[in-house]
Amino acid sequence: MVPCIQARDITLTFKPKNRDPVAALKSLTLDVSQGEFVSIVGPSGCGKSTFLNILLGLIKPDTGEMRLNGKQITGPGQERAMVFQEFGLLPWRTVLANIELGLELKGIQPSVRRERGMELIKMAGLIGFENHYPHELSGGMKQRVGLARALATDPEVLLMDEPFAALDAQTRDLMQAELLQIWDRAKKTVIFVTHSIEEAAYLSDRVIVISARPGRTKDIIKIHLPRPRDYEMRLSPEFNEIKAGIWSTLKEELITKRAGDGV
Amino acid sequence: MGFKEKYYEYQRPILGMASVVGLVILWELVFTYLIPLNPFFFTKPSLIAVAFREQIFGGSLWSDLVISSKAFISGFSLAIIVGIPIGAVMGWRRRVEYTLDPFLTALYASPLVALAPLLIVVLGVGLVPKVFLVFLLAVFPFIFNTAAGVRATDRLLINVVRSFGGREKDLYLKVIFPSTLPYIVAGARIAIGRGIVGILVGEFYAASEGIGFAISRFGDTYMLPEMFSAILVLMIVAVALTEGLRKLEVVLAPWRVGQEAR
Amino acid sequence: MNTLVSVYREREQTILGGGFILLLILAWEFIPSLVSLPRGLSLFFTTPLTVVQTFYQLVVENKIQSHFYISAIEFAVGLAMAIAVGLPLGLVMGRSRTVDGMLDPFVTAFNATPRLIFLPLFILWLGIGIWSKIVIVFIGALFPLLINTYEGVKNVDRVLVNVVRSFGANEWQVMKVVVLPNSVPYIIVGLRLAIGRALLGVVVGEFFGASKGLGFMIASAATNYKADVVFVGVAIFMGLALLLTLPVKKIESKLTRWRPEAAKTF
Repeated sequence: MVPCIQARDITLTFKPKNRDPVAALKSLTLDVSQGEFVSIVGPSGCGKSTFLNILLGLIKPDTGEMRLNGKQITGPGQERAMVFQEFGLLPWRTVLANIELGLELKGIQPSVRRERGMELIKMAGLIGFENHYPHELSGGMKQRVGLARALATDPEVLLMDEPFAALDAQTRDLMQAELLQIWDRAKKTVIFVTHSIEEAAYLSDRVIVISARPGRTKDIIKIHLPRPRDYEMRLSPEFNEIKAGIWSTLKEELITKRAGDGV
Repeated sequence: MGFKEKYYEYQRPILGMASVVGLVILWELVFTYLIPLNPFFFTKPSLIAVAFREQIFGGSLWSDLVISSKAFISGFSLAIIVGIPIGAVMGWRRRVEYTLDPFLTALYASPLVALAPLLIVVLGVGLVPKVFLVFLLAVFPFIFNTAAGVRATDRLLINVVRSFGGREKDLYLKVIFPSTLPYIVAGARIAIGRGIVGILVGEFYAASEGIGFAISRFGDTYMLPEMFSAILVLMIVAVALTEGLRKLEVVLAPWRVGQEAR
Repeated sequence: MNTLVSVYREREQTILGGGFILLLILAWEFIPSLVSLPRGLSLFFTTPLTVVQTFYQLVVENKIQSHFYISAIEFAVGLAMAIAVGLPLGLVMGRSRTVDGMLDPFVTAFNATPRLIFLPLFILWLGIGIWSKIVIVFIGALFPLLINTYEGVKNVDRVLVNVVRSFGANEWQVMKVVVLPNSVPYIIVGLRLAIGRALLGVVVGEFFGASKGLGFMIASAATNYKADVVFVGVAIFMGLALLLTLPVKKIESKLTRWRPEAAKTF
């Protein structure tokens, strides 16, 4: 069976004006199966977000191929949707209008859009806030809108770029649990970038460790915890072992990064 | 709510109104009972009120206002039509900004009103030089503010819309335009003041009608209450327009409240 | 060839901007000799070289110095008065809600109205000597200074004030240690705006009801169809505007680095 997402030899170098070029990714190769929940961790600057953006179709790699269901990715498409770390909600639109954005851009009729939008409002627990504006919402609620917006077009693949990093610890835990519920029901493929080993281990089927810049796949760790996962699992010894395993791989890359930064 | 709490909430408008009313009363009393009023030099509120009533109900004030407004609106609209697109292109394309900015800044910094006598000599007396003058003065805030607004567009939002399949026209309509609108309104607010200067310069200098002309004529003929009254009318119009736009800014961009100075 | 490209890349901004201005000046200089103008226009058309010549002539014949001197005085005195009144008033208004409330309607009203409207009144009161112009300059420059100082004082970080207070500072010390330094970027922006307004005030003040000064020189030259003199005057003002505001802008950008919200648009 063709894996849902195939990344082969992805290489990308940033060439900013008046500055030295920065090699972001180098021959990164990765497969993700349909319906999998995969986390990507790595030291800062290793290219995790860049990789997501290539998947999203906003950036093209210098060399290498990125395929979705066998077809090469050439630009954004509605089978993939992203949830952004800084939320990215249009401040002049209501919550509902924000959620409808993807549908609107597809040309879907307003009445159909509204129906679907309200469905998602219900699912995201935002009932009563349809006509609020983003600046009136808390961080957690804003990200709920972001998630609802991404799910509105029913994409196959959900790309999440450190979506909970800007939230406080409690909200973060809550959102993680909700995300797992939604994923379990909707059976989407999720690629989740995070700095938190704990988050990665808790949420995913597999954790991919990316090396320090330029990024390539360093290690792939399968998480053998049963599903559905609950909070208590985070307190178990197995979980700690898993975390330790990820940490030991990651540690090497962090040390490499420090050396590279000249610290 | 007790009296004290209510006072704190409405403190500003209460104090404001109190001081204005107080000033008017003081002014009237001083010049009625304390200092003799030299009618060639000063005037007092009661006389101003009389002149105001006369002008509203019979004088030429309305027709003067209409004439000045026509010129103002024409010039202002022209400034919008020309200024916003130029500003938008400048904000969107760095190269265009690099090319035009020094020239426009130099123009903005130079007192363009200094060209007014020349314009009047060229274009004659009447509507055209006034419109042109208003346009010259009002166009710059629109250019600069639109450019600033476009430049300040949140790149993240552009990426968001692109990621959901937005094309170029979607970017303009759904992100850049709404994001820039509050800046444009702020520019309009500044442009109003500058536009009024244009009208006044045009009318002080060589005109036979219009509110600027009226004010200078009242001055020449020492009709002080009428002069104060006309000035007051223009002040009210200016404040109404400016504060109205300020409120509009808040309505259009509630998420940016508290970020703009006057 | 590579060095040329890299030089261009570094100085792209100046090259494009300066080049454009240069182009316009050249066009202005040479177009009249290429294209014949409609008769009305050619009566008082002029070219950059002529303007420069006229300027030189005026300086040599000592015709321009007295005008410049008068305008300079009006500018300087008016601006100085505006600073002397605007800064302290802005400080007080920023710190005291009472004063702020009482003065607010007047500040709003006078700020929204173009100062020019009072010129006939000032001429009536003060005649056509320098004082009516000084007052116009004063009022024009006052409001940016006042309002920006006020905003600077008001927007001081509450946390910082509390920190200083917790060390036992009284109101005066709070002002000195926290409020004033915080307000400086705002004040500088206000100064830049005030300079522009002051120059404008000199020009328009001298158009109507004056017998000396650069603005008067421009106005009377216009009525006599001496376009070159007009442009000399305009150019002088333009040069002064740039000369005076550029150093202020430099200081401003250094200071607003840590207080970006102070550098708002015009």
